[in-house]
This record gives sequence, C-alpha cells and structure tokens, in this order.
Amino acid sequence: MSELNCYHCGDEVIGKGYFIEEKAFCCNGCKTVYQLLKDNNLGAFYSLEANAGVKPSESSIHKFAFLEVQSIRDKFIDFEDDQTVRTTLFLPQIHCSSCIYLLENLTKIETNILSCQVNFTKREATIIFKKEEFTLSQLAVLLDKIGYAPNFGNRSETEKKFDKTYLYKLGVAGFAFGSIMLWSFPEYLGLGTDNPEFRNFTSYLSFAISIPVVLYSANDYFISAYKALRFKSLNLDVPITIGIIALYLQSSYSIFAGNGPGYMDSFAGFIFFLLIGKWFQNKTYKTLSFERDYTSYFPVAVTRVVEQTEEITEIENLKINDHILVRNEEVIPCDSILLSDSAKIDYSFVTGESIPINKFKGDFIYAGGKLIGQRIELKVEKESNRSHLTQLWNDVKTDKKNATSFLYQDKLSAYFLAIILVIALCSGIAWAFVDPTRITQIIVSILIVACPCALALSAPFTFGNVMRLLGRKGLYLKNTRVIERINDITDIVFDKTGTLTKGSSHHVEYIGDQLQKKQLEALYALTNSSTHPLSRSIVHFLRSQNIFSNEEILQFEEISGKGISGQIDLMNIKIGSPAFCGQNAIDTNETSSFITINDSVKGRFVFTSELRDGISELMTSLHKYTLHVLSGDKDKDKSILEEIFPNNSQLLFEQTPKAKHEYIEKLKNNGKHVLMVGDGLNDAGALGIADVGIAVSEDVFRFTPSSDAIIEANKLSQLANLLSISNFSKTVLKICLLFSVSYNVVGLSFAISGNLTPLVAAILMPISSITVVLLSTLLVRFKK
Amino acid sequence: MGIIYLMLIVSLVIALIFLVSFFWATKNGQFDDDYTPSVRILFEDELNQKSNKQTDGSSEV
Repeated sequence: MSELNCYHCGDEVIGKGYFIEEKAFCCNGCKTVYQLLKDNNLGAFYSLEANAGVKPSESSIHKFAFLEVQSIRDKFIDFEDDQTVRTTLFLPQIHCSSCIYLLENLTKIETNILSCQVNFTKREATIIFKKEEFTLSQLAVLLDKIGYAPNFGNRSETEKKFDKTYLYKLGVAGFAFGSIMLWSFPEYLGLGTDNPEFRNFTSYLSFAISIPVVLYSANDYFISAYKALRFKSLNLDVPITIGIIALYLQSSYSIFAGNGPGYMDSFAGFIFFLLIGKWFQNKTYKTLSFERDYTSYFPVAVTRVVEQTEEITEIENLKINDHILVRNEEVIPCDSILLSDSAKIDYSFVTGESIPINKFKGDFIYAGGKLIGQRIELKVEKESNRSHLTQLWNDVKTDKKNATSFLYQDKLSAYFLAIILVIALCSGIAWAFVDPTRITQIIVSILIVACPCALALSAPFTFGNVMRLLGRKGLYLKNTRVIERINDITDIVFDKTGTLTKGSSHHVEYIGDQLQKKQLEALYALTNSSTHPLSRSIVHFLRSQNIFSNEEILQFEEISGKGISGQIDLMNIKIGSPAFCGQNAIDTNETSSFITINDSVKGRFVFTSELRDGISELMTSLHKYTLHVLSGDKDKDKSILEEIFPNNSQLLFEQTPKAKHEYIEKLKNNGKHVLMVGDGLNDAGALGIADVGIAVSEDVFRFTPSSDAIIEANKLSQLANLLSISNFSKTVLKICLLFSVSYNVVGLSFAISGNLTPLVAAILMPISSITVVLLSTLLVRFKK
Repeated sequence: MGIIYLMLIVSLVIALIFLVSFFWATKNGQFDDDYTPSVRILFEDELNQKSNKQTDGSSEV
C-alpha cells in the first residue's frame, strides 16, 4: 500500500480514504467538494493546478447564523434592489488560479447566484445573488462547504482608500511631469531667451500645473517630515522635503522674476519617482501581509440567551449581566463569569501560553481566549467591542520592539542632512568672495541636487524585492524592519519539539507484552481508520513490520483528545491516553498510547520525534552564528543533538516557556542580537522578546501574533540560505547608496560651481532614480 | 508664432483628457487587481472543452 494523496487538497490520505472511481480523498469534505464540482461540470478545476483544493472545515449551521440578523447582514451588503443583492466577501483561502476558476463558476453550483467575480490580489469575491431565493448566510455556508470560508472580520475600509489615493497622486504628478517637460524643451536646447513672451507663457502654465503637485501629490512628505521634526527626530523625508521646498521656491521665484521656468520639470519628476517608490512598497505589503487573518478569529456576533430563547446579537449590543453562549473554537467576546460547570480556555493569542486553562463555575474569564470543548454559558461582566479585542491581541512586546528600532535609513539621513548643510554653508562662504549676488542661488541648488530621492527609492525597492523573494522561498516576513533586524543577528536559538523535530511524524516503539500477529493486524485496522497524527505514526510503524489488514471494524469510535476504540474479530480494542485505557500515567514526559484488548492492558506505543530533514546540514551552514537549543523535553535526545550542533552550542533541556523567555532576555542583555526559531504557539513569549522571532508553521495561513516571520516547516533546512538572502539586501542597499552618493557628488559639483542648469537637473534626477530602482531589482533577481 | 500657443494648449488638453481617463479608470477599479483578469481570460475555452467531454456524471459512492 503506497502513500496516496488527496485528489482535492493534496494531503496524504490516511487510513482507507474515500474513493470515487480511481480518485482518493482524505476526508468526506474533500470528496463532497469533488462530487459537487463534477456534477456541475467544473472538473477543469483539477486540470488547472494539481491538488488545488482547500480542505473544507467541519461546517456548522450555527457558524453563519449571525448573518440572519438584519443589522449585521447589512454591513456586508454593497447594494441591493428588489431582485438582487450584491456583496463583497473576503475569502482568505483563495490561493491559485483554480480557486478563481471555481469561484467564478459558482453560478453553476448554485443557480440563485447570478455572478461571482474574484479579485485575487485582495482575495475578495464580489457576488450577486437573487434576493428572494437566497440569503447571505446560505451563501456563506455554501462557500464554507467548498473550502472558502468567508472572513467577516472588519477590515479593508481604510485599506481600499489608501491604495487609490496613491494612484491619484501618482497620476497628477505624472501628468505635470510630462507636460512641464514638454514645454521646457526650448529651455533645454538653450532657446529659452529667444522668445521672452512665449517663455513667460509656458513658465506661468508650468507654475499653474505644479500647484496640485505640491499641494496634493507631495503632501505625504511634508506631513511625514513635519511629524518627525515635531518629535525632534529625523527621517529620510526631512532632507527630501527640504530639497522639494528649495526646488519649488527657487522655481517659483524664477518664474515670477521672469527668468524662465526654473526646475519645475525636475520638481514634478521628483515627486513622480518618489510616489512610484511608495506605490511599489505599498503593493509589496499588500501581497505579503500575513496579518490579514488577524480578525477572522474575532466573533462578529454572539448568541445571547434571553428568557430561555437564544438570539443572535452584535457584540456591541451586549449589556452587563446578559447571558451568552460560546461554542467550541469561538473567542470569548468580553470579560465574563462562567455559569457552566467547567471550561477549557486557550489564551495563547493573548499571553502566549498554549496550554488551555481550566476554569470552573463562577470563575472570572477574560476576553480574548478561545474556548476548547463543549459550549459554555457566560454572564457578561464588562461591555466589549471589536476594537477592544483587537487591542488585546495586538502584542505589546512586538510594538515596543518596532518603536525602539530605528530604520537604517533614518540613522543615515541625520548624517546626510549634516553633510549637506555643511557643504551648503562652505560654498555659500566661498561664493561670497567670488560673486555675492549668486549666494542664494548656489545654496538653493545645493539643497535641490542633494535631495536624497534615489536613496529614498532604494530601500522600498530592495526590501520589497527581498521580501517577495523570501516569500517565494517559504519565509514570510511581517514587515521590512525585520530584514534590518535579521542583518544584526549574532545568536540563533532553536526550540526542539516541532522545530528541529517533525511535528507530525514520529518514531514509534512498542513496550509491553508480546502481541500476536492477529492482534497487531487488528491494531492496524483500528489505527488506520483514524486521522490522528499518532494513529498515523502507528500505521507507519506497523506497515514497516509488514503488518497489513483490511479487517472489518465494528462499533468504531474516536473520542477526540482521548483515543479510539472498536471491535475486531471479537476483540474489544482501545488505543489512547492512559485515562482512556484505565491506567495511571507512568511518565508524564512521555508521549504514548496505551493498548487494551478485552479490557486488559497489553502495553503501549511510545513516540519519540524525528529530526527534520536537512537539519544537520543547516547547522553546519549556520556556523557564523552562535547556536542555542532550548528544549522543553528531558535530555534523552541530547546525544543526537550534540552530534549535529557545533561544539560551542548551548544545549539546554527541561526549559519552561518562562525559562526560555528569561534565557533570551539574558542573551539580549549581554548585547547579543537573538533570532528565535520556534513553534508559534508554545514559544510565543520567547518569539516575542527575541529580536527576530520566526515561527515554524506547517500551515502558513495560520496566524501567529507574536512572531516577526513565519517559515514553512519544510523550508526550515533552507534557513541559512534565507538569512543570507536577507543579509544580501544590506549589500544591495550599500551599492545603491554608493550610486546615489556618486550622483550627488556629480550634482553637487555642478551646483557648487554654479552650473546647475534646468537641463542638468532634468537629466541627473531621473537617471539617478532609475538606476537605483533597476539596480536594486536586478541585484535581488540575480541573487536567487 | 501663434500656432505654437495653439499646439501648446492642445497638448495640455490631450494630457488632461488622459489624466481624467486615468482617474476614471482608477475609480472604476481598473487597477485594483492585476492578476485575476489574466487568469480569467483563459477559462472560457477550457470550460467549453471540458463540458463537452464530461457527460458521464458519476454517481454517488
């Protein structure tokens, strides 16, 4: 029996699987989607991209019941008339061309849907459906059923507008740039003075067109520079703004003094190129941002119990002493008191502690936790709203880290500004002896030509390209600041379980009484029916011992978190936790499954984790860093780790999350810059405090609040390469810096000698910007 | 010489027309998504081919 992959979602098929003709599916959900697509002649979905499907989650009708509430529903409706309703839904699962195909053919699956248009970049679908026959909640259920659960978190409002203003600004600047340059041609050719009347006309026209550029297109720079100065700090926008203002005032003066159009063309060009840089940066963020899933966990509405009847209401409408119901996997919407007997709450998003906390009747429960297990009833103690929840989840530590780290460029701009001012002053003094009437003109042209436009473009393009490249290779960064911090890293700390070792596949050992072949076969049949990772490992283990079986199981039962049981060949078999098999745990540090046959304990399977592929090569290639391992387990794997880690590495065992946190703090206090690689949930605290926290994730769509980056688990062995790509960005930046400085030197020499004519400015300025953009793009391309 | 003023005005008007049409296009979402349309255009043909072929419609398993 070879390994099969699900025809729909590509996951490994565990156990018997589900079959239609020759095609295997991992779960009933995938099979249903396939059936649905096939029946509606949408089989092309699978020919576009192999295994493109998304495994649908266990859908419940309750999940979207809140959409029946009129006030909530209306929030998501763009437009409606007597017959049709139009809505735009955010579907985070959209990831390939097959998704577009499937969603745009929704009309075939559900005839009440009139049209569906996908926006891949935003992961949105605009859907029009019949008002009478279909409802928004039915639509949500349908989408959820085929694996594209809509996210009803509130976002995008500001995002949408933000993006478009950039384009408008860019349009205005481009329009002015082109027009003014056209009229300035006589000036470039030295014909400006031939026809003073015409020259004046074009000058005033240029001035008129430049007004929207300075007031509208460039205003972000003025605002940013003003903010920086008000907080007594410098950013790159300060010298840029000085350059822009000098350029504009000089040109306006020249126009009104009748001396020609000045540098209005360069002014509009400057703004145009700067805005292109910003637009590019914005675009990169939009495609890579992994915080998009942030709000999908927040409840939009809750179930309130009023006089024995359940009703759905918005969180904002909850009053103190209201009774609410919270179901499995739902977030606790407000601080409240538990009315049910007991509950397990997972606060990992708020505190980083992954082990669910047990609460009992009458206990106070803080908002933000996620309920695990049976539904509970709560009494509201404090009113709440969505922004309160967002605040809770915004990790304070991460924010602080961002605030204290200066952008590489901002540090640079302070020096830059100082040097420029000194040069301007010196040349001013020098010109006082040569020709005092030209002092102002010289100083202004120095400020103009020194405007670090190229420098401002180099960072967004370099970092943007590096982020894209890393994203393609499986490392997703939160923002560009992470790249800068990666460059300073001296120490790398690894977590063991789930990071160095595989999360899902295990090495299995059997301890206990000798089992007969028939019993082993029964165990195989039983575990093969379960999708639990441990069952899967047992199946692999038995398979390696040449045990197979297709025995019929009677009364198969799987109790989540406990174990599985069933009857095979008159044997009652149970496999699972000690408690499930009526045993006391022998060693709490050990992961094991107990086996009972006909109520007598036979033995147990002990699981030890396997190292990920390529880990030992990775450690050799990371030789320039000091390596540390912090493991929560006992030191049973010490000898294996000592073998692959360099001699000077620190290997520490039995570390609690708190100890890990303190260890990293200690390293940081010793002046080290720490990169922590760990499991997003268990090590959230340590990831948060490290200079760079990389969460290892099997599923990159999963949200990890305290990390700075997410790495695909199977790409971990590439970490050294990824870090070197990130470090390479520093080299690229330096090269760009070198180029922009040399352009500035050339420009300054023109300016100091009093030769900065509009033509020279018009040539130097775009060339420097374009070179830097090309250079940063090409160098990063070349690197891969 | 008068003609150059006319041409200048004409060039400005043409540029303005393009600016306005750019605004209009932006507002209508032409630049919202630069990926989906490139994929979508390939679908129609594929769909027709497939729907001709797939007539078997397998039964529930």
